[in-house]
Amino acid sequence: MSTQIYRALELMLRSSCCQTIRRRSCLRNAVLAPTACVPGGPVFPKRAYSLDSLGPGRPSLGHSLHHPGSERTSPSSALVHRNLSAAAVQGQFRPLCRYDYLDLGEVEENVRRAQACKKTRHFIVDPDLANAVAQHLGPDLQDSKSVIFECNPGPGVLTRALLNAGAQRVVALEGDKTFLPDLQEMEERLDGQLEVLHCDYFRLDPIGSGSVKAPTMFTDKLFTDLGISEAAWTDDVPVKVVGILPQRNERGMLLKTVYALFERLSVFRYGRIELNLFISEKEYRKLVSPPGEMRYYRAFGVLWQMACDIELLHKEPWESFIVSSRQSVPSSKGKFPNDHLCLVRLRPRADLFSAGLTPSNASTLLMMVKQCLAKRKVKLIDRLNLWSPDSGSKLLSELGLPEDILTGNVYPAEYLRLFQLMDKSQEFTQSWLYEEILENTQREGWG
Amino acid sequence: MEKLSQEKKNKLKKQQHLEQKMQRIVKEKPLGQSKGSKSSLMATGTSHKIISSAAKKSKADMKLSDKIYAAASSTTAVAAATSAKAAVAPKAPKPKQKDSKSKVSDKKAAKRATTEGKVKVKDEDLANVAELKQRLNQQGQDWTSLSTTDSPQDGSKGSLCGDIQLSIRSYLEACVFVGDIERSQSFLLSQHRVMSRRKYLTTDVYNIMMRVWAKRGMLNQIGRIFILLEEAGLKPNAGSYSAALECMGRQQNCSPKVIWRCLNKMREDGLSVDDLFSQCVFRQDERDMLLRAIHTVKPDYEPSLSLNASQCSSPLVQDFYTKREHHTYPKLDFTQEELQERFKRQLSVEEACTVTIDSVEGLKPITENMAKMREMLAEQRAQWHKVLLQALRESKMILAKTNTKAYKLDLYPYLCLLEDKEYVDIMIQSVTNMPPSGESLKILARDVGNRIYTKYCVRQKHQNQTVEKLGSIYDAYTDLLAKDTKVYNVLPREQWCKLEMEQHSGPTLQGGETTWPYILILELGTFIVDIMVKNLKINSDILNPAYDRKLIPILYHMYTFRSTRQVGFIKPHPILTQMQQEAMETKLTFDSSVMPMLCPPVPWTSVKFGAYLLTPAKLMRTLDGAMQHEELLEKCENLHPVFDSLNQLGNCAWRINKPILDIIISIFNERGSEKLDIPPPLSEAPKIPHFHPQDPTYTASEKAHMKREVINAKKKCSEMHSLRMDALYKLSIAHRMRDELFWFPHNMDFRGRTYPCPPYFNHLGSDVTRAMLVFAEGKPLGPKGLDWLKIHLVNLTGLKKRSSLQGRLEYGNSIIEDILDSADDPLNGKKWWMEADEPWQALACCMEIANAVRSPDPTKFISHFPVHQDGSCNGLQHYAALGRDVIGATSVNLVPCEVPQDVYSSVAQQVEELRARDAAKGLKIAQVLEGFISRKVVKQTVMTVVYGVTRYGGRLQIEKRLKEIDEFPKNHVWDASHYLVRLVFNGLKEMFTGTREIQDWLTESARLISKSGHTVEWVTPLGLPIIQPYHRTRNQVLKSTMQHINLQISHDAKERPDTVKQKNAFPPNFIHSLDSTHMMLTSLHCYSAGLTFVSVHDCFWTHALTVDTMNKICREQFVALHSQPILDELSNFLLHKYCSTIQTEARTKKYQEYRRLLLLLGKVPQTGEQETG
Repeated sequence: MSTQIYRALELMLRSSCCQTIRRRSCLRNAVLAPTACVPGGPVFPKRAYSLDSLGPGRPSLGHSLHHPGSERTSPSSALVHRNLSAAAVQGQFRPLCRYDYLDLGEVEENVRRAQACKKTRHFIVDPDLANAVAQHLGPDLQDSKSVIFECNPGPGVLTRALLNAGAQRVVALEGDKTFLPDLQEMEERLDGQLEVLHCDYFRLDPIGSGSVKAPTMFTDKLFTDLGISEAAWTDDVPVKVVGILPQRNERGMLLKTVYALFERLSVFRYGRIELNLFISEKEYRKLVSPPGEMRYYRAFGVLWQMACDIELLHKEPWESFIVSSRQSVPSSKGKFPNDHLCLVRLRPRADLFSAGLTPSNASTLLMMVKQCLAKRKVKLIDRLNLWSPDSGSKLLSELGLPEDILTGNVYPAEYLRLFQLMDKSQEFTQSWLYEEILENTQREGWG
Repeated sequence: MEKLSQEKKNKLKKQQHLEQKMQRIVKEKPLGQSKGSKSSLMATGTSHKIISSAAKKSKADMKLSDKIYAAASSTTAVAAATSAKAAVAPKAPKPKQKDSKSKVSDKKAAKRATTEGKVKVKDEDLANVAELKQRLNQQGQDWTSLSTTDSPQDGSKGSLCGDIQLSIRSYLEACVFVGDIERSQSFLLSQHRVMSRRKYLTTDVYNIMMRVWAKRGMLNQIGRIFILLEEAGLKPNAGSYSAALECMGRQQNCSPKVIWRCLNKMREDGLSVDDLFSQCVFRQDERDMLLRAIHTVKPDYEPSLSLNASQCSSPLVQDFYTKREHHTYPKLDFTQEELQERFKRQLSVEEACTVTIDSVEGLKPITENMAKMREMLAEQRAQWHKVLLQALRESKMILAKTNTKAYKLDLYPYLCLLEDKEYVDIMIQSVTNMPPSGESLKILARDVGNRIYTKYCVRQKHQNQTVEKLGSIYDAYTDLLAKDTKVYNVLPREQWCKLEMEQHSGPTLQGGETTWPYILILELGTFIVDIMVKNLKINSDILNPAYDRKLIPILYHMYTFRSTRQVGFIKPHPILTQMQQEAMETKLTFDSSVMPMLCPPVPWTSVKFGAYLLTPAKLMRTLDGAMQHEELLEKCENLHPVFDSLNQLGNCAWRINKPILDIIISIFNERGSEKLDIPPPLSEAPKIPHFHPQDPTYTASEKAHMKREVINAKKKCSEMHSLRMDALYKLSIAHRMRDELFWFPHNMDFRGRTYPCPPYFNHLGSDVTRAMLVFAEGKPLGPKGLDWLKIHLVNLTGLKKRSSLQGRLEYGNSIIEDILDSADDPLNGKKWWMEADEPWQALACCMEIANAVRSPDPTKFISHFPVHQDGSCNGLQHYAALGRDVIGATSVNLVPCEVPQDVYSSVAQQVEELRARDAAKGLKIAQVLEGFISRKVVKQTVMTVVYGVTRYGGRLQIEKRLKEIDEFPKNHVWDASHYLVRLVFNGLKEMFTGTREIQDWLTESARLISKSGHTVEWVTPLGLPIIQPYHRTRNQVLKSTMQHINLQISHDAKERPDTVKQKNAFPPNFIHSLDSTHMMLTSLHCYSAGLTFVSVHDCFWTHALTVDTMNKICREQFVALHSQPILDELSNFLLHKYCSTIQTEARTKKYQEYRRLLLLLGKVPQTGEQETG
């Protein structure tokens, strides 16, 4: 009797703890987010231009022969002079520099251009929203060494906002050719803070065969072209990605990304790439759903929570975005509301690959988590015993978990610990679980 | 145009005349009174308006809907009435309010049109629409006689609650079958009492219970059920009365008064006594009891039975059925006694349901390890058997106790249908046949469920006492087939029906067994699999004593992940796999339906009866759970040509080509041969590299590389395993049959393409299986037979595709040395045969030729060898013929030519010309491709274009071919395939002008039909109804303890059609339905000419002696088929089917859609000149 009460108490404590923590962070963001918009116009900092602040791996500007913009005289030597002369010869063409405020453009015009897009896409056109997003990427954008990848900028409102906020290096990856000329024109007017590429970030690293043509691309080509080299996992964030996740295959895209993260494939070969993505509210709620929410606590969320610090930066109603199709706002069939797009920061944890987890055994972890959470209302001990008979209770006691805990009540961090213990034990390496992984690794989520 | 306007003027005159008449009627009758007859109201209502409009406006301004009605009424008043009725009929199930509403709005619309006259439609269109409507009216009566043209709403209404109804019936029948009367009675009552469930009950469900009481002679119980029927608002049908009378017949002294009362009541319900005998399905002695009851009141009553002799309406086979005097139906080369003997053997096989045969691997010498493993496995199995039996009994007990609610459908009765032991046998069989890579739970459960169902069906037949009767009819039936009996001029089906009618007492053979709904089969299967997973265990140290001893499960349930979906899998533990592989067991256990039949199959006489003796078989193969095909077939009155053709194909006897089989087995048991398509054993598989992912000495990229290696090796292994097992099954079955003569019962897919029922070993298989089969019957080669054998051999090599027959024959003669060498010393000689496209069939042919030329007189040499005649690109042939496209027809050999044309070579040639031109213009990719364009590169794409392959698919095909060419630069493959597929498509478009047009018309028609919410249906020229089962996916979840199985059902007729699939699949399906029709026609006429004939879709087989006759029949039937106005008939059918609901609200979007559909369906593509050759 007493043990039961104890157990119940423990469970209650566990779940309430987590909830409060998560609630707090969500709440703060929800409350704070709107205030971050500066209604009276953008604040653009004036600071001396310094080479140090450029992102990592930036092609050394002084003698970059292969760089597309290399025909221009290198800004480091010409900068002062250029600005002086520009000041002298008013009205003449000069590359814009970070001191110049970029006009975000007429809203109507931007809407028209966005709606001309043939694919279904969402666009940021509202200047306030763009500025708010730019602020969230900060706060000190001008000091940050991270390169910013802007996915599918479209008419380029956010691009300008980012540059206005002082971003040192923005790479605009636009998948739709029709937006390219305007973006490229902006690129030319600027002094190297912006690079425009015909590339769809969400179609990087295709799985099928066939020749790869822009906007499809392989990560290594993209990063080599941009001169960004591989960084250690524990280094600072080399690249921040910002964009709106395409609605068509939101979940698939997120799954693919998290698998790549664990195995350090794709962009994650180059370090801890931070994602700042607008995802639908519904999917966000699933992403962060805590243990105990039996319906939505799935491998998908567990893996993300395990790998990243997840922060909700901003919530914006669907109506604030311009959609390039007649489709109305997506309905929410499920339990969760789906009235907003959520700007979510997914920053991979620096300590992910410590204490036993490596990119090469991560696939076993993926498989383990997915097997466990295919059903949430089964006992974890049964799963463990299935993989290696009679070892379940030993493992659970080592983890300090109750014997009858359900798979849907185990925290992401505990799954990680569990895996580390299993990986050390001799019994599990004999288990078929390991075989399974090898067999399925190519297929899972990449199909 | 002139003609048209003339016609219209005439019509207008007629209209006015008629309208005046109508107006008079309208004036005479107040509107309110005429409400009784909807049709007249409609007609009068509209024509009334027309008058004013005709007076005021010019005809071009007249509104379209008026025009239609005008046209409709201009024929005759009767026709108009029928059309209006037809228009109303499909709406019948809906509330009546709508009818009146539409009438009102109709009138409003008419008024608006007359005053505004804004809607201007082109004159021509107007005329077209009017004409089409007229056509519809005229045909209305013809079509309504065909029951297949029921409105779609009616059709779907039947299946609306189909699954639930079926579940209820199955449950009740299962209860009755096991004798659990109490359960069945309380179940029926509880269903009846709950209003929400009562709506699913039909009279037939109540009848099931009546039958039970009838057997016990409890008339009062039957009376109660009659009251229940009335309560439920249902009418008793023939089955109900038959049960009541049967019950009276069983009572020793039932008063005639009671019987009279019953008969009178029956007459009131519009049923005659004869109806009982013709409509009811009788089991056991039910029929005799019924007759006894009737005899008490009408002592000399004899049921008058008429043979269902309605003649086939298709003109294609009219002569075949009516003019029989010159027909010589073939006899089988057996005495009657032999056939009867064979029947008994087949019966005993099917009664057992499973058959255990020797594996050809068992011919290998036994090693010590093998012996040990076999022993261990046997021990384990005995153990598992015990455990499973125990577990099954326990779970049955739990089920019996827990289901306290009578109305709930549980699995309990289904677990009592068979002996406990039989369930356990099925489980053990599943474990044995489990592939090492596991099986998805859904498939495993389905297989287990189906096995139980099959056994249940066989047991039902025993219980109904049909087996005995089957035997006696079959015995009499053999009289028709055997060689030592008189010559008949009736077909097997006709004879069987006649015999059944003669031996009418006792049970009916077609015992209306209810097919279980798919969901039930899965549920039952999952339940059984769950027992297996939970209870089957093995000691972990059984193979390696070094491990700790633990009891581990041999099957485990886990998930594999495909994209964002998870699929439940059952996998065998590696220990089990290893034991089974090393034991190489000598026995294989199959379902009996896997084996060919030992006696001629039972002829198909109805949709539900034919093929195997006891094992249930479907006339039409469908997706699991798709009901629409069967419903359609059952409504169809005359499927005789289809039945007869399937029977003809099934009646062909086969035997094994033993020398070839022996060579194949020897290679199979050696090391296999990938080149000759004999899968090697797993011992030949690449070793799976072993590595520890944790080993720090490897770098990351090395690890990744090794991981990939392991994955590839594993994939290869599992592929090899499945290929090997497939070959093992085929060879073992062939080996078992080596001294037998056997038959393949046939059925068809939903487009009418025919297939042998046994899945592994049949003549449709690969080169290897085809080479193992020869006709059981031998015929002398005759004067030209040897030549045909040689030509056949050259065809099998794949060489000389563009040579004339003479050229091929000459080539054959020139290599006679090689042929004889291959025949004499296949494995150690010059091995000429191994280079052929179809090496094994080539080898078999070499042997046949060698035997023939060495015989004293080759013309008298008895040959069993099937000679094949291929259609050359069948799809294109049909399109060319449909379009009367002369150039296209020439290139696919429809027009007689000196040298056989090869469409693939022609296309290749044309593509090459275009390429050369582009290359000269400086196109890079065209230059790269120089010298690489061949017949082989384009063949597959050309062949599949007619079957609707898209550019995307075509590119993949060409890409594959280009990759096979070693010299071709790999980095250009993608561009080149893109470029080539464009050329091939353009080339075909130019060569087959008519084809494209027809294809487009078909596609567009299907698109509009589907958009209007209907599924595409049509009827082949032989009268086979076809429906495309493509609908939007519906998810159904089966909740079992192990996992929830999500069924994505894409064939549910209740769902809206899937337009993309409906449209893309219509042209190929239509062409397939035509080529199947052609095959059936050929088969029927070959039968009447006494030939042996079988088909592999568009490739026809016969003896060397009769090749010429078969070719003649094949050509004649092709011409006959295409002399029919196929496209016009299709157009008429579609018009009637989808446009007979007249839409009247002219401005609505719906009407516009309707009008578009009407115009499109009526506009059959223009065809070229009529040609007869």
